[in-house]
This record gives sequence, structure tokens and C-alpha cells, in this order.
Amino acid sequence: MTIAAGIGYALLALGPSLSLFVSVISKKPFLVLTVLSSTLLWLISLIVLSGLWRAFLPLKSSAWWPYGILIFTSVVFQEGLRVLFWKVYKKLEDTLDAFADRVSKPRLYLTDKMQIALAGGLGHGVAHAVFFCLSLLTPAFGPATFFVDRCSKIPFFLLSALIALAFVTIHTFSMVIAFNGYAEGNKVDQIFVPVVHLVAGMVTLVDFASGGCIIGIPLLFFIAILTLLHCGKMVWRRLTENRHRQGSM
Amino acid sequence: MAQNPRPTTVLESLGEELIRIITPVSVCMLLVVLLVTVLIDDASSSSETVTSIATIAYDETVSDSSWDKFVGALLNSLVFVVVVTVVTFVLVLLFYLRCTRFLKIYMGFSSFVVLGFMGGEIALFLIQDFNVPVDSITFVLVLFNFAVVGVLAVFMSKMAIFVTQGYLVVIGMLVAYWFTLLPEWTTWVLLVAMALYDLAAVLLPVGPLRLLVELAISRDEEIPALVNEARPVTPHDSQGAVGERRVWRDRRNENSSIGNENPNSNSNLGEFGNVDNDSSLVRAEEGRIPDRDQELSAPLLEHVANVQPRRQEDVVASESLLLEGIGLGSSGSIKLGLGDFIFYSVLVGRAAMYDFMTVYACYLAIIGGLGVTLILLAVYQKALPALPVSIMLGVLFYVLTRLLLEVFVVQCSLNLIMF
Repeated sequence: MTIAAGIGYALLALGPSLSLFVSVISKKPFLVLTVLSSTLLWLISLIVLSGLWRAFLPLKSSAWWPYGILIFTSVVFQEGLRVLFWKVYKKLEDTLDAFADRVSKPRLYLTDKMQIALAGGLGHGVAHAVFFCLSLLTPAFGPATFFVDRCSKIPFFLLSALIALAFVTIHTFSMVIAFNGYAEGNKVDQIFVPVVHLVAGMVTLVDFASGGCIIGIPLLFFIAILTLLHCGKMVWRRLTENRHRQGSM
Repeated sequence: MAQNPRPTTVLESLGEELIRIITPVSVCMLLVVLLVTVLIDDASSSSETVTSIATIAYDETVSDSSWDKFVGALLNSLVFVVVVTVVTFVLVLLFYLRCTRFLKIYMGFSSFVVLGFMGGEIALFLIQDFNVPVDSITFVLVLFNFAVVGVLAVFMSKMAIFVTQGYLVVIGMLVAYWFTLLPEWTTWVLLVAMALYDLAAVLLPVGPLRLLVELAISRDEEIPALVNEARPVTPHDSQGAVGERRVWRDRRNENSSIGNENPNSNSNLGEFGNVDNDSSLVRAEEGRIPDRDQELSAPLLEHVANVQPRRQEDVVASESLLLEGIGLGSSGSIKLGLGDFIFYSVLVGRAAMYDFMTVYACYLAIIGGLGVTLILLAVYQKALPALPVSIMLGVLFYVLTRLLLEVFVVQCSLNLIMF
């Protein structure tokens, strides 16, 4: 429904990411490059997944279990890719530290490492939002709107924008939690991220029931807030530990 | 306890030059996508095709079979590449005979034509679409001034760099838009053909661009060409100043504007001369300050020696070289040629004619390809073409998205299943 609505939906899904980008990421060019490469990586993961599943599509839309399997395989694949991303990042961190030593600058601070993780997560979130929400928004710029049968009270574009917003939050902060978990060897954090991703994916299956989106979407936001809180707690803990350690030196 | 400001880490300024070249490329692509979505209506575009050099051999119609379209597109691209090769050789000859003045005047003339005539035509389309109330005298006056300032900006390097960059982006956008008016198959095959030509022209010993670069190096002159230069990066805290070391120089020759004559113009606006010559080279040039160079280049080589045996992944090794190259030690600026802008934008513009999902995928592929090219440059340290990797990746991602990703994503989204 007109350009204003289209832009509104786009900002609904990507508004917080945009403000995060402008305030934190755009100041450091390296972080912008991290966001771009992270987005590219997750796009490739989506293409690989669609390649794997192409033979089975289009699925019958009545049964929910094929979609369950689809979500399960996709989440497993993406989490595996996250571990790979971590390994590449570790090598990069060593290179950056060596470079810093050579030009006699201080090594990467804890906040720098967290910012890189945040940029990586933001890339993941943006990739999700762009491909699952924005690319389907083109009709929304025109004069009409669209409703899906299962959730017939709310326009489809609004639904996908809300779901995309929740997922962007989950992806962005999961990356910070995951990187921290791998760095510290913290098992809880390492398990937390894949489990949350899987649960969030499965929760969208609730939308299969007619009118299910009334429960599904708030649940999804609940999970997103949970991720946010966990990440905040973890970051706070690490920063205070770091400060104590530096203060006592 | 007073809070002393912590010393800044490498993260503050790393990769700045890369961002400064990615930004104009992205802006150009964005503008072309906007133009394409606003001006082109799928129903009408297929009926009228622009007759130009690129469609001399074969004019695509909707009713032909796929194989016919493909063969026709191949013929078109072949003709185009041959014409471009011939013109490049002419350029090399002229450069060899030191006719630089002629070349410069010709460049200015072609910029004027692109800005004035092509820009004017697109402005007319926009005015028609949006019913902008403007009279013809004002329009001609404004357009003329716009074109003249553009020519001056391209010529005189003393203008504000923002203005120069802006005009180069506008020229790239206009030429790219005209390219997207070609029939579909012809556009794609042409892109691939130009990427292959670029590869051949720069790397083969007999390639015209390689000859051009070697001539320029041996005479220590600048090639007269339309080149977009990123803002030079000044090191933030220059401890023990930095030598004038130019790390990379991307050059491109844009001989003239594109060979798309609109059907109405009957002037022989250089049927031949108006062919875009877009080979881009990327090369590293060492500065003339000896000991700085030793100091800066020796760690580079040493780093290579250290890195290779330890790590297996080539990506990381080259990335470390890349960091060395872009790093704080150099105050060089990256230059990217205008043809790269144009062909990247053509690819994205064509993707926009299908759907926005392909646009995002192709954009990411092109940026990734650009990064890979720069990494390769840091590794090989010689003239490299910038088109092939990005164009090949872009075409690959377009095909994959159109065939695979779209069905997958639409299926999931419409059932509100997302992960």
C-alpha cells in the first residue's frame, strides 16, 4: 500500500539494525567489511540450503512435519557454519594482533572483539531480514496489500516484518554470545545459541495452525528478549571482570 | 583516578581505503537500480529495443526460441568485443605516438555527450513520468551547465573531490542505464564476454591494455583515462611519517561513451569512437622513496615467508598481506576505473529487472568479488583485471538465486516459516 507503507515495513524489520549500524559500525571501516562478508556468508548458506531442498519443493502446505525437517536441517547447517566462522575469526584475530605488534599499537581490546562479533551477528541478521522479508516487500510499494489464509487478520508484510525483527535480534546477539562462549570455553553459552536458534525456528511452526500467529509471534519475541538479556548479562560480567583485572594490576 | 583516553587500536582505521572505494560503487549501483525500477515497465521494455552496435548482428524478439536467442546474443557480444579490441589498439597506437592532447579532448567530448545527451534523455523520461512542470529553455540551460561542469570536473583535478567523484558516478550510472536497455540474453552474454576480454587484454602478453600499462610505466606518464580515485587516507597518528607509496592503481580506459545510439539521432557521433573500452587494470606501484620502501616492503615479504608455512588457508595468508597493503603504512589511494562501475551497475540493473532478491544477491556477490580481486592484487603485485571475478560471481549468484533461492524463500515465507 504505497511507498510510505513499504518503507514502514522495511524500517520495522531493519530499523534497530540500521541504528546499530550507524552508531557503532559505520565508525570503524573494518566492522563494515565484517558485516558485508558475514552477510555474504549467510547468503551462501541460504543458497546451499535451497539447493539441497530444491528437489522436494514445493511442499504440500497441509502437513507441518516436512517443514519441521526443513527447519531442523537448516538450523543444524547454519550452526555448523557458525563454528566455521568462529575458526576463521580466530585466525583473523591472531593476524590482527601480530599486525598491531608490528606497527606498535595495542592489541585488540575486549570491546573490540565484542564489536567484531556484533558486526558478524548483524550481518547474519541483515541477511535473514533482507532475504526473508525485504525481497518480498516489492508488492507492498504498490496500491494493494496481501493476506495469508492462516493469519487473515494482519497483512502478510507486517507479519514477515515482525518475525524478521525478532530474528534479527536473535541472530545479532547470538553471535556475541557464541563467540564469547567459544573464547571462554563456556559450555552453557556454546549450547545456548544453537538451542535458541532451533527453538525459535520451531516456534514459527506454530504459525501453521490457523490463527496460530497470535501465539507464535509473541513467543518469538519472548525468545528474542531472552537472548538480549542473556547477552547483556554476559557482556556486563565480562566487562566488570576485565575492569577488575586491569584495576588490580 | 583520571581516565586517560586509551590508545586507539588497529581496528579504528583498518580497511578504510577499501570502504572508500566500495561506497561510490554501491552508490552507483543503487542509483541504477532506482532508475531501472522507476523508469522501466516490463510490458513496454521488451517491445522496443535500442539499435546500437551491440545489437547489430541480431535483434532479439520475444518469440524466438532459447537457442536462437543464445546464438544471437553470442554474435552480438562477439561483434562488440571485436569493436572494443580494435578501438583499444587504436588507443594504444595514439598513446604510442604521443597524441595525448587529442585523447584528452576526445575524453572531454565524450563526457559532454554522455552527460548532455544521455543525461538529458533520462531527465526527459523522468520529467514525463513524474509530470514535473519545467519549460524547455530552463531545462536546456540547466542541462548545459550540468554537462559543462561535469567535463571540467573530469578534467581538472583541482575540483573538490566530492564533485569529481559525484560526476564520475553520474556518468557511470547513465552509461549503465543505457546498457540495461539491451535485450536480456545479449546483456548477460555481453557481460561474460567483456569479463573474458578483460582477462585476456590484461594478462596476455599481446593484450592491448598490458601494452598500454607498460608504455605508461616506461615513460612514467599517466594514461589519460576516466578513473575514480578514492580519497587519500592520511594516517591518523603518523609516527615517523609515511612515504609517498602508492599501493595500488586501478586504471581503466574509457575511450568514449557507450555505443548505444538512440534510434532518433542521426548524427554519426563516432559510431566507432563511441565504444566503451573498459578494461580495467589493477597494479601496484612502488613509490620513489628508497628507504621507506625497503622498510615497508621488507616486512611485507618477510610476512609472506612467515605466513606461508604456518597456515594452510590461503584466505588468511592473503588477508594478512592485504592488511599489510592497506594498513597504516601506506598513504596511497585506491583507484578504480569507470568501466568497472559501469559493468557492475549493468549487472545489478539487469537483476533489478527480475526481482529485488536477485539485486541483493548480485550486490553481495559483486562486493565479495571486488574484495577477492584486491586480495589477489596484494598477493600477485602486478596488473590484474577487476572485472572477471565480480562479474562471474554476480552471474553465478543471479542464476542460483533465480533458480533455487527464490522458490525456497517464497515457500517458507508464505507459510510464515522462518529460521
